[in-house]
Amino acid sequence: MNSSTTRIITLARHEYRAAVRSRVLIALIGILVAVTVASVYIAAAEYRSQLADYEAYRSAAVAGGIKRIAPSPLVLLSLLRGAMEYIEIIGAIIAIALGYLSVSRERANRTLPLLRSRPVTSGELTGGSILGALAVMGTLIAVTAVVAVVCLGLIGKDWVNGSQAFRLLVAYLASIVYMGVFYCLGAMVTARSRIASNGLMVALGIWLVVVLILPQFGDTLDADNQVPGGLFKTLTIDRPQSLQILSHFGTYEFIRTGLEELSFAKHYERFVFAMTDVKANYRGFTLSQLFHEKRNDVAWMIFYAVALGAGIRRSFHRQPTIPIGGSS
Amino acid sequence: MIATIAAHQVLSLRRQRIFMALLGTLLVMTALAGLLGWSSHRTIVRVYDEAVKILAADGKPAPPNPFELKPALSLLSNMAIYIPLIGALLALVLGHLSMADDQTDGVGRLIFTRQVSRRSYALGKILGAAGVLAVILAACLVVSAVSLLVVNRAVPSVGELGRLSLFYGLSWLYLMLFALIGMATVLMARRRTLALLSALGVWMVLTFAVPQFTSGLRPTSSLNPVSEPVSTSQAFFDVTAQARPFSVSEQYKEASARILDTAIPEPTSKTIRRVLPIAVLLSGVGALTAGLVSRHDYSRSSSGE
Repeated sequence: MNSSTTRIITLARHEYRAAVRSRVLIALIGILVAVTVASVYIAAAEYRSQLADYEAYRSAAVAGGIKRIAPSPLVLLSLLRGAMEYIEIIGAIIAIALGYLSVSRERANRTLPLLRSRPVTSGELTGGSILGALAVMGTLIAVTAVVAVVCLGLIGKDWVNGSQAFRLLVAYLASIVYMGVFYCLGAMVTARSRIASNGLMVALGIWLVVVLILPQFGDTLDADNQVPGGLFKTLTIDRPQSLQILSHFGTYEFIRTGLEELSFAKHYERFVFAMTDVKANYRGFTLSQLFHEKRNDVAWMIFYAVALGAGIRRSFHRQPTIPIGGSS
Repeated sequence: MIATIAAHQVLSLRRQRIFMALLGTLLVMTALAGLLGWSSHRTIVRVYDEAVKILAADGKPAPPNPFELKPALSLLSNMAIYIPLIGALLALVLGHLSMADDQTDGVGRLIFTRQVSRRSYALGKILGAAGVLAVILAACLVVSAVSLLVVNRAVPSVGELGRLSLFYGLSWLYLMLFALIGMATVLMARRRTLALLSALGVWMVLTFAVPQFTSGLRPTSSLNPVSEPVSTSQAFFDVTAQARPFSVSEQYKEASARILDTAIPEPTSKTIRRVLPIAVLLSGVGALTAGLVSRHDYSRSSSGE
């Protein structure tokens, strides 16, 4: 292992240890785990009762000599929708808080200028911080994933199979990347602010726009979303006909989808919803087909990850090597 | 003295441009709520017309227009989403800054060397935040009324203006709750940013977690004025539904929908019962904030971070 790698790993360990010592962060993580458990518990309990109904129907059909039995309409992984939404909303806040605490802690302890005065490059500092943060987020995601899968098995009485487990793994890896981007945002804007708490407020403002406001605009402007159950379903219009109708509203749809495209959170949501069978139109697809269908969202996620990664490196590079000003 | 402290609070927020930032953000969101409501409604009516043509060509009867009976105020229904999401966060920041600045600037240490009681100080701070929020929401009310005038091409009736006023009155109550949470967390946490993160945690719990526990509402249901019905027949909800009256974000949205006449009507007494828990929580957090001010050691609170 060369000295640069050793320095990066040392910085990553420091980041990890410091993060797990923060009580506020632990409290936020506790909230995420609690709501994930609640969401999966509620969905799994409902699933168990529907599964029992289906099994009863199936047994009755077999006993009655019926040959063509309708397949189960139940989709196990889709029960994780709430859990994924919580990562999208609360996970992003946790990541921002982690990024903020990472910089403000080093500033308050005056260790950031000290670190910059040592033979540690901004690239190593960035790499170490991101690696440590990814380890924290990976631990968090692993805990929520295990809890979710166990809840599905114990409460829903149905365990994920190998193929589902692999897709779930991909979805949770995307979740770590998603949180990593928000970590970079929190650390970057805090590093650029003279007063750390202002950086936190700016990062939260960006979170509000990206995670809540832009997707809300998209949802509100979606014609099919204005009636419970869907407008087109209410009007007994099938999918080809709905596409034919929407082709008359090209500009409107362009603006609506454009607003959604701007939101990193929406790309993450589309990707993980496809991986976890939340969206019915992607059910039954192979992994390569899913990646092909979601290549646009994957590309946007890579773009944001690279851009924010470069941004945090630039911000760390600009940190002075001697302390200036008052406390953070 | 209470009025002096409140006036100082308002002046301080104005000088920091916080007042203008809050006012600007909420006014823009109010105008956008009207614009989005108008745009989506107009498009959906045209989508319905196109659907009728297709159904007629197939020889199928057209179902009734689901938007025909939409009330005039429905185009502002997005405001009931923006207030708990954006408004509540801004109110948290307002409450946070109202208390935190006095600690970091040293005003907290200085002020109690004068003839100022802790009670007057707490009441002045709360009154200042209440006044700022009242002015901001009054401006939002004006923007909403203008949006209705422009979109509906008719002056809003007295009844509609009354409903709008009631809605913004309820919103004021709701936002005050979060402003007080912002204040209380500053007095409880040792560091300023930890206070802000703690307040944020409370907001997340009230906005996303509690509705999930009490009514099975998924977090993104909070983003859409039209929610899918959720099954709450499980035994789990027999227990948690007891706490539903205190799921304040849910109660706020339900009460707002009744006030704006965008949901199935219910007896006025039931709507009042939805608002009561918000008022009770507000009083509780207000009393807690006053109690924390009276016990707070202002001599140690000089560091921001």
